[in-house]
Amino acid sequence: MLISRHARSILSLTTRMLGPADAEDVAQETFVAAYKALPSFKIDSKFSTWLYRIGVNKCTDSLRSRRPENTSLDVISDEGAMALAVADDETPHDELEQAELAWELDRGIQGLPQIYRESFVLRHIEGLGYEEMSAILGVHRDTLKMRVYKARTLLCQSLAHLDGAYR
Amino acid sequence: MMKHTFDMAGPGDDVELVQRFVDQELSAEERVQFLSRLGRDEALRRRTIELEKLVLDTSRLPRPIVPDGFAASVLKRLPDVAPSLSSANAGPWRRLIDAFFAPRALRWNLASAMAVASVAVLVIAAIVVRSGSRANALAGITPVSSAPSTTLVRLVIMQPGAKTVQVAGDFNGWNPARTSLEQISDGAWAVTIRLKPGRYAYMFVVDGKQWIADPFAAEQKDDGFGSRNAVLDVRPTETRPGASL
Repeated sequence: MLISRHARSILSLTTRMLGPADAEDVAQETFVAAYKALPSFKIDSKFSTWLYRIGVNKCTDSLRSRRPENTSLDVISDEGAMALAVADDETPHDELEQAELAWELDRGIQGLPQIYRESFVLRHIEGLGYEEMSAILGVHRDTLKMRVYKARTLLCQSLAHLDGAYR
Repeated sequence: MMKHTFDMAGPGDDVELVQRFVDQELSAEERVQFLSRLGRDEALRRRTIELEKLVLDTSRLPRPIVPDGFAASVLKRLPDVAPSLSSANAGPWRRLIDAFFAPRALRWNLASAMAVASVAVLVIAAIVVRSGSRANALAGITPVSSAPSTTLVRLVIMQPGAKTVQVAGDFNGWNPARTSLEQISDGAWAVTIRLKPGRYAYMFVVDGKQWIADPFAAEQKDDGFGSRNAVLDVRPTETRPGASL
């Protein structure tokens, strides 16, 4: 039950933090770790906050274990290029632009330094408030605001080559 | 609380203001002044639009689809860690773990998937069953049925030491006296209620006086009075075998 209810959120977190190659495995590890730690869960806490915290820690572990030559960015680049090639044949111009933007944005997010990435993902992918983010990451909300601000700025810079609002 | 006027703001202040605007943290007065200034300051306007577009585009990124068999894969990895739960074997946590992760239910579902008309599970402690389906694989849960247009939802909460536990929400006029939970094991309380698809805010009431939001709810929202309600999202039940995982 808990798995089905929270799987999509945790998988979303791990996908944006790590890329698709490792996302599912780390999401599964998150639930296994939660299962092991469930007796220590404080009943007056919010379960999703606790689970996100475990998920973020698992992502951190995964990032630390990566070898430089096997980064998710490379994997995403290949898969994104493939998706774009397919889209080029089958989709109207607007959809192609949207697909390109999504790919560039996803790539930009995963190119962020980890502390900015996790803050940005929790804020704008998962839609969490700064208080809950503070409970998850153990960082003061003002610090998190600064990290999200830097993430936004870096992303706008990384998207500046696209047509449209990003310059 | 506004510490300066926007017309006099320096570059550093602009950064903070734009970020607070994007985060929707400006007061109504600040917002009016900020928007007024946007009309006169092209650079600030471009910067604001840029950030707003980034937030919008990010929110539109597709959410990953949970692959079939995800929960089964998790549960396959659980036996290796099960011994670590020995300290909780006899207590309420053991039952909570069983109920929430329900590995026995999974095995039952996998083995019986083709025979099950429909079984779906919603929020943490909520079990959703449509007419003709079986959901009694979870420990301590009695088989239930429902009319096709409604859904049976089971709410469970751990409250060791409580004498009574009730639930109040949008579905019962926020009157806890209308819906009492029964103690199903040491410290575990449960009730099954029939709901139409929709979104329902609710809170548990312990011993008639302590109002608490469901700690296991996936979603909570402000109640407008300084507290937070849990939110139950009841959707039309899926009929895919294995949807209960």
